[in-house]
Amino acid sequence: MNKLNSIKKLAIYTMLVGVITISGCKDDEAPAPENEEEVITDVKLIFTNNANANDVVEAMAQDPDGEGVQELTVLDSINLDTGKTYTLTFEIINNLETPGGDIGKEILNENDAHQFFFAFTNNAFVNPAGDGNVDKASDPLNYNDYDKNGNPVGLSTTWTTSSVPLSGGFFTLRLQHQPDIKSSTTGANDGDTDLLLQFVLNIK
Amino acid sequence: MKQAFLLVLIFITHSYVLAQKTDTCHYELNGVILDEDTKDPLPYVQVNIKGTQQVTITDVKGQFHFTGLCNEKNVLIISCSGYCDTTCEQHHEHGKSPHIYLKQKVNSLSAVTVSVAKPKEAGTTSISQQSINKETLDDKPTQTLAGAISEIDGVTFTSTGTNVQLPVIHGLYGNRVLILNNGLKHGFQNWGSDHAPEIDISSANNITVVKGAAGVRFGPEALGGAIIVEADPLHLNEDMRVDIGTGYQTNGRGYNVKTGFGKGMKKWSYYVGAGYTKIGDRHTPDYSMTNSGKQEISANAGIRYHLEKWDFRMYYSYVSQDLALLRSSIAESGNLLIRAIDSEQPLFIRPFSYDINEPNQLTQHHLGKAEINWWYSKDSKITLRIGQQFNKRSEYDVRRNAYLPIIDLNLATTDVQLEWKHPDWKKLDGLVGLQLFSQNNDNNPGTGTTPFIPNYNSIRYSGFVIETLKKTKSTYELGIRFDYINNNVRGRETSQAIFRDNYHFSNLTSSLGYLLRLSDNSTFRTNLGAAWRTPNMAELYSFGQHGFKTSFGLLRYSSDENGALVTSRVTLMNQSAVKPEKGLKWVNELESQQGKNNLAVTAYTHYIQHFIFNRPVAVIGTIRGPMPVFIYDQVDALFMGVDFTWRRELSDKLSGTYGISYLWSHDIEKNEALINQPPIRTHLKLAREVHGLGIFKSSKFTISPSYTFKQFQAPRTIRPEQLIDGSVQITTESEIFDFKNAPNGYFLLDVSWSFKWKGIRCGVSIQNSLNTRYRDYLNEMRYFSNEVGRNFQFTINYTIKP
Repeated sequence: MNKLNSIKKLAIYTMLVGVITISGCKDDEAPAPENEEEVITDVKLIFTNNANANDVVEAMAQDPDGEGVQELTVLDSINLDTGKTYTLTFEIINNLETPGGDIGKEILNENDAHQFFFAFTNNAFVNPAGDGNVDKASDPLNYNDYDKNGNPVGLSTTWTTSSVPLSGGFFTLRLQHQPDIKSSTTGANDGDTDLLLQFVLNIK
Repeated sequence: MKQAFLLVLIFITHSYVLAQKTDTCHYELNGVILDEDTKDPLPYVQVNIKGTQQVTITDVKGQFHFTGLCNEKNVLIISCSGYCDTTCEQHHEHGKSPHIYLKQKVNSLSAVTVSVAKPKEAGTTSISQQSINKETLDDKPTQTLAGAISEIDGVTFTSTGTNVQLPVIHGLYGNRVLILNNGLKHGFQNWGSDHAPEIDISSANNITVVKGAAGVRFGPEALGGAIIVEADPLHLNEDMRVDIGTGYQTNGRGYNVKTGFGKGMKKWSYYVGAGYTKIGDRHTPDYSMTNSGKQEISANAGIRYHLEKWDFRMYYSYVSQDLALLRSSIAESGNLLIRAIDSEQPLFIRPFSYDINEPNQLTQHHLGKAEINWWYSKDSKITLRIGQQFNKRSEYDVRRNAYLPIIDLNLATTDVQLEWKHPDWKKLDGLVGLQLFSQNNDNNPGTGTTPFIPNYNSIRYSGFVIETLKKTKSTYELGIRFDYINNNVRGRETSQAIFRDNYHFSNLTSSLGYLLRLSDNSTFRTNLGAAWRTPNMAELYSFGQHGFKTSFGLLRYSSDENGALVTSRVTLMNQSAVKPEKGLKWVNELESQQGKNNLAVTAYTHYIQHFIFNRPVAVIGTIRGPMPVFIYDQVDALFMGVDFTWRRELSDKLSGTYGISYLWSHDIEKNEALINQPPIRTHLKLAREVHGLGIFKSSKFTISPSYTFKQFQAPRTIRPEQLIDGSVQITTESEIFDFKNAPNGYFLLDVSWSFKWKGIRCGVSIQNSLNTRYRDYLNEMRYFSNEVGRNFQFTINYTIKP
């Protein structure tokens, strides 16, 4: 019986030791900071006059809290001059981090899974003519960059404005993420939307 | 204690030769009663044929003999008081229902099914519960835990595709159903509807579903019920056995193999098992469900050492899964969500493949347990159970940097349980327990995204007392429990700033149950049980997109003075209005067996205060375009329902089971329907046994038609485009709604044939044999795809006894 008692004690001690060890090892570490690669807060459209590198038109859209509920704001209108040829490039940044993360680089790294599509007021540009390739992927658009499969990307595009002034038009850009899908025929409705921004377009 | 009753069903498999139409009472029954462990014959055991006056006593060789029986099937009542007095005392682990082994012998007994009423866990004896045994599990080896138990009335599953299925008991799931894996609360990432428990059912020996609030016995989260998964019982004195099994299914071209061996000696017993399952893309009647395969590897081992008063067990199990989620379920923009919902077919269909691509989930679960039982006196026992679980989960999404997991978590869970079954005291039979439960969750760096779930340490101290008072016909059960939970939370905001919180909750839970044996054939059970749970980390701290939802947890949003949603700060728990969920469930069950009929009716009412759920609340302009936004919210909810099962022996060989389950659920605070609640389901199962069909020793055919109704209590429908174009305005006060109408009701027909041939158990079954096109209301993929079409499944199981 004595032996049993000591075993009983042992069992209870085991339990107590278990409790102490477990409550004793409490860590207090926060998760490591991450380079947030999903969130985009700022998108800047940069139209550079091909004839004059100092003639730059910028328009910005901002979602200041990223995934939070604050509304997206389109800060600027796009104000271009009539009859000029521009190259459009982007600054796509996550400004929740300091320093801001360049999401444009991520897109470039995965350009075979991304494509920009555009829609705009009909005939706002002489080249590309029409209303853009959101409605129909094969509609004219001047891509300057292509992925390894020879399909357009759109981080750089060329635009020649009409000689006819335009006031209060629109300019929509849409970045589609098309992993395993992107081909020469995929359009703005294939894959998921990474960016969808509409700006007011004025041509004077 | 002096008498134990066992109901033993004997199926006499040969129709007896003396059949004469004029005299029907011509059946004979012979048997031998042996101790299951020692295989020693048990003399002087009283055997009585239920419903008759026939009684006999076994002779010194344990044999008994009946003649002039009128039925081919008989239920034996074996009163083994003598056995208990002499043998049970030496083998306390057998408790009050000794294992009796009926040796199949002599002319008319060629196969014997002994079904012993399983002893119920203390604290749940007055709650309706049903079990599924190994043989049933073997028939469909590739199904999930939730799928396996869904044939029980009142139990169904909610799913995210074909691989991720969570059990639903009476409308509650996830954190509201506790999964007890080998005596331990399964420690996994139990949040959202897309995380299923990592349990390989092929290693389970038995699964029991407790359909009432079992919070006192099992702790917080057993609000809606509990699922008890038991491993190999590790019997002593059993011959060496080697089990091998394999199967193939046509839908998904899936195959599985499993093997295991075990042996029970006089003091030692062990077993070791392993399994592998691979399934490719499943298909609906019309198209392939691209990225819906799975791969699973499992292993388990147990060892037991038994002394007269001591019993030691160690157990280990490992499950590794790679589960694909339907590729077409990805919608990170409002744009794609609309197109995906509107499309008749998934937007991404590729030919069949075994490949698993993003989105997918990789999980690994280790479970180790040690248990010591000590019968230190005649009717009392001390149990110490120590468990350690380690769960690793990484989830991959279709995104830039898809090769990085978007969620990468390590969760370590430790259990220490000390239980004392005290000596009978003034007719009170009781269990007192102390429990310690702790979890440590850590994010692994390198996901390229802000952690969706924070790091946390959770520790719970609990104590409970359950007392049972047995009178001749009545059993009373009273339970009381105290829990204290402390959580220490560290997370990151999207700016990578750290937030911290430390909070605790404590709660007193109680339950009261009553069991009345109305007659030998009828039992009435009633149980009023309370349970509670603290909000899980996703419900508190969700921030942003996961799956196709942008959700904000209870502590991540607030309203400004204009009632607009603000998500700029994390509220501390003690400054918030967040309360733990508390539930009170009253469940009644009447079970009756009369002649050839077996009826069970379960009726329940369940009130849950501060019920937490997810609902859309606004549309916000995002850089991806307009998106519907969800919040977690708390309301008071009421659930009421009935499960009805009726089994009838239609003839000697044909039996029919009919079941229906109905649930009414409501948000009684705002008087509105809740979302994602199980619709009415009704099913029939006709089983026919045929013996000596050609070369097959015994065959069983079943045909199981079932009809699931459309969920007519579904909330109103608002399509995402109506939100986005502003034609419908919603606020935090708006009524609950869904994006798509509840799918139509559907009829399914399953057929199966199982047979034995030279000790090999084979099965052929056809699920959805009519290739019905349907969508299931409780499958989150119902927005995107039809359910799986016709499937042929073949299984072979063989036990070698060298």
